[in-house]
Amino acid sequence: MTASTPSGQSSGAGGDAGTTLPRSDALASERPPRREEPPDPSPLTLLDFYPPQDPRWTRIAPFFLALKDGRFTTTRCTRDGTFHWPPAVACPKCHREELQWVDLPTHGRLYAFSEVRGGAPLGMEGGVPFVVGLVDLPGAPLRLFSRIVGRPYAELALGEPVRFETFPIRDGRLFYRFRAGGEPATR
Amino acid sequence: MNGPLRRVALVGGGITPFGVRAATFPELIQEAGARGFGSLPNLAPEDVDSLFVGAAQPERLAFQSHVAPLAAELLGLTPTRVIQRTELACASGQSALRSAYAAIASGLSDLAVVLGVEKMNLPDMAEANTSMADVLDRPWDGVHGATAPPFFAMVAQRHMHEYGTTEEQLALVSEKNHRFANRNPTAQFQGKVFTREKLRGLPVVAPPLRLGDCSSMTDGAALAVLVEGSRAREFTDTPAWLVGSAQCSTFHNLAHAGSLSSWEGLRKAGQELYRSSGLGPKDVQVAELHDCFTISEIVEYEELGFCPKGEGGRFVEEGQSDLGGRVTVNPRGGLLGCGHPLGATGVAQAVEILGQLQGTAPSGRQVPGAAVALQHNLSGSANVHSLLLWRREN
Ligand SMILES: [Zn+2]
Repeated sequence: MTASTPSGQSSGAGGDAGTTLPRSDALASERPPRREEPPDPSPLTLLDFYPPQDPRWTRIAPFFLALKDGRFTTTRCTRDGTFHWPPAVACPKCHREELQWVDLPTHGRLYAFSEVRGGAPLGMEGGVPFVVGLVDLPGAPLRLFSRIVGRPYAELALGEPVRFETFPIRDGRLFYRFRAGGEPATR
Repeated sequence: MNGPLRRVALVGGGITPFGVRAATFPELIQEAGARGFGSLPNLAPEDVDSLFVGAAQPERLAFQSHVAPLAAELLGLTPTRVIQRTELACASGQSALRSAYAAIASGLSDLAVVLGVEKMNLPDMAEANTSMADVLDRPWDGVHGATAPPFFAMVAQRHMHEYGTTEEQLALVSEKNHRFANRNPTAQFQGKVFTREKLRGLPVVAPPLRLGDCSSMTDGAALAVLVEGSRAREFTDTPAWLVGSAQCSTFHNLAHAGSLSSWEGLRKAGQELYRSSGLGPKDVQVAELHDCFTISEIVEYEELGFCPKGEGGRFVEEGQSDLGGRVTVNPRGGLLGCGHPLGATGVAQAVEILGQLQGTAPSGRQVPGAAVALQHNLSGSANVHSLLLWRREN
């Protein structure tokens, strides 16, 4: 199975891909991979409950493959145009399974933000303080929650421009976050 | 409502001390049994046909699932009608209450015990904090470090930005609820005076929220007994009648939260609560509201119609939510003063309301002549709201 990878700059919410999602029954005969190393103390304790990026585990692996191209994507219903977040395998509005991958805007603005100074989950205790926020993505009906990097809490303001970037986690995998100010440090 | 429903009354209950307890999950359940059954000398375990247990995360926090039969055994019960656990994060206890109400009103049960319990303090608190992150959408929101404090901090930031609410007004909510808690022997925070000045000097947890703006990780349990109406006076001359209920769930992933400063789900649930009971916000004298954070109580005043939208900060500033005000909010001490053992909170609120409607709450907490009481719990990121309305006479 492959992710659809429309070429060119992501330019708002209208990118078109058109590959429907693989069906889980096609993968039923494959055995899940064995974890070969102990969990490391990265912030991914919460993500790596099981390896969700691997096509043997999930039907939305194209989202994570697109991150490797520096692209931020989600699914959209080919029938009613509904944007999904997180990426879906059936449309919550019409319950059809004919979905397409589309590019999301990579520039947004901070709708709200705060800073975690204590009470962080396992693996994140050493990272405090860190900033989190909700990012409005113009052109897409989405307001995404994300880690915010690039500027300390005290230097951020409502409406602050932020941009999508990816960052390495482990095993060659990537995840996403948003950066305020400066140039994006994708990969 | 469709079809005839039977009347349902709350006739008794008990609450364990809340706090960082030297007690395990099963021990908390037995303490609640001693206090709950102790309040009802006419009730024998064999009279109980159903058990509803509210517990949010026993699998992670106590490494125990299938907790309803565990609780039944610890309480000496052998339910023959309904036995179940409800999980609705911070509203797990209230969800158990409403499930018991539905069972009795429909005729499935005649007499039900509702137990709420949570053991939250662990040797490694980062482990407990991780359990709070998985209340949200774990792989998409929790993974970025989202737990309750930063989310409700953003609610406060937007409410301040849009309506001019101040940190001083947030502190006033905490000052009021801690003052009530100091008169509640089951509260987590005892003998500690929290003035607004002291509260505003406490460390910041997630700006603009300080330690005193946040409820705690708490161990505790509570037990309440609900009966079919015709049997209420076998147990007490002054039952509390459940006369209205509502719930609304509007989103889960934070991408769909919409406005942070307006809680549409609570507004809708409130309208349904008032419609189903034939009562309105002006009839409510006591409200047990979900003050997981100070800003929550302020938004709740507004969405429940106690004051106009945007004026919640002024409402607390004017003393309208204190004794002698328009509606006394959280005379138990709230989650801020009592602590917040997730599954126990809703059941403890109901036990408090029974005392308020019976006129037996301690001086300094009793709302004079209380006849109608509203109970609210939100859960998660205020994406679900659960409401009950209780009345002295029916
Ligand atoms: Zn659709």
